[in-house]
Amino acid sequence: MPVEFKDYYKILNVPREASNEDIKKAFRKLARQYHPDVAKDKKAAEEKFKEINEAYEVLGDPENRKKYDELGSYWKEGTEFQPPPGWQQGRARGAPFPEGSFEFRFDGTGFSDFFEQFFGRSGRFDGFSDSGGQREYGDGAAGFARRGSDLESDILVTLEEASKGSVRVLTLQRTNRKTGQARTQTIKVKIPLGVIEGQIIRVPGMGNEGIGRGAPGDLYLRIRFAAHPDFRARGADLYYTLDLAPWEAVLGTRVVISTLHDRVSVKIPPGANNGQQLRVRGHGLVKGQSGEKGDLFVVINIVIPERITEEERKLWNGLSGISHFNPRDSSR
Amino acid sequence: MKEHGDSEEESARELQPVEHSMGAVYTIEAIADLAQVPRRLIVLYCKHGLVVPASKAPESGWYFDDRAIHAVRRIENLRSACGMNLRGIKLLVNLMEEVERLREEVRFFHQQ
Repeated sequence: MPVEFKDYYKILNVPREASNEDIKKAFRKLARQYHPDVAKDKKAAEEKFKEINEAYEVLGDPENRKKYDELGSYWKEGTEFQPPPGWQQGRARGAPFPEGSFEFRFDGTGFSDFFEQFFGRSGRFDGFSDSGGQREYGDGAAGFARRGSDLESDILVTLEEASKGSVRVLTLQRTNRKTGQARTQTIKVKIPLGVIEGQIIRVPGMGNEGIGRGAPGDLYLRIRFAAHPDFRARGADLYYTLDLAPWEAVLGTRVVISTLHDRVSVKIPPGANNGQQLRVRGHGLVKGQSGEKGDLFVVINIVIPERITEEERKLWNGLSGISHFNPRDSSR
Repeated sequence: MKEHGDSEEESARELQPVEHSMGAVYTIEAIADLAQVPRRLIVLYCKHGLVVPASKAPESGWYFDDRAIHAVRRIENLRSACGMNLRGIKLLVNLMEEVERLREEVRFFHQQ
């Protein structure tokens, strides 16, 4: 299926030789600007946010970025994209069993066709492919019956959606490979409150139709969290990197963090170390249907000032003169 | 053989939210029916650790959730489409799960 090439570098507004750190910074800046919860024009921002997220998903992962750069060398701006030989659908992480009568295209999952084709997992999950293995279950007297094949796709969900629940409109286009005829089906799917990364939502009967008296297959949507500019999720726990000045880490401080739901005041104890994690109970994502919440982990990141004034230099020098602290002393 | 979708006009389903079944639990008979796989095979898959019941209290029996239906369908897929035996399926399913877990870890650390 020909797809439009996505210029992810242009989307994140970074040069092709940008470092990982530059890409991360560009993503955070744009994600804050276009986050659907803060932007004024929600609809336009949502589209842009998904695009930014997809670009970061690819460029933020060195393996994916390498694959993408390889693909990109076959593309020129303003021309139709022709994937190089050996880069057909499924090459990256695509359909486990791409052969079959139908070709599928999802819309509304949060990923573009380009992403789905080369970096996604969308595809057929077909136990009863045309190549054989036909199986008849149920009432033998009812004649030939074959359950419809299942479909599986990732769905991009923001952390806010996971913590409030949402309804998503998905469009599924099935094209008959032999006749080229297409059929489009649009469905609304509830994303329940409390979903976590990797969780599967089964949408019964939304796979392919069965043959004879066979039941239709199911649609399986695997939750994939959109990258958030401030939080990272692991299960129902959230991780927040807190930048601290060296003296704040040494003396301790109190900071207010805006979480997904509220604001929380966190006391940083004196002597906090780089990478140290402070747990704030019950300020993570909602855990399943129980309503219970995961935790928020505040990860300390000590930032050294790049430039200092003459007066600051004097103070640091004074400190260096009187301090007995030696980080390389193994007996400490 | 009827070809799915051949004679159908392009159509859109009326936009009522489709009920997913998250949180639902099923008996072994229900899951056998939903996945269209005989009960004895599901028992066999459970014995091999390929399908894990959501609850297996001795007094209430086995209950399954959507993950189990997904697992059963995936096994059937590997058996019929790829011609794999149970030992091969177990190896592959474990690897697929491990890859999935590692992929999530990698995504988590890349976002750091």
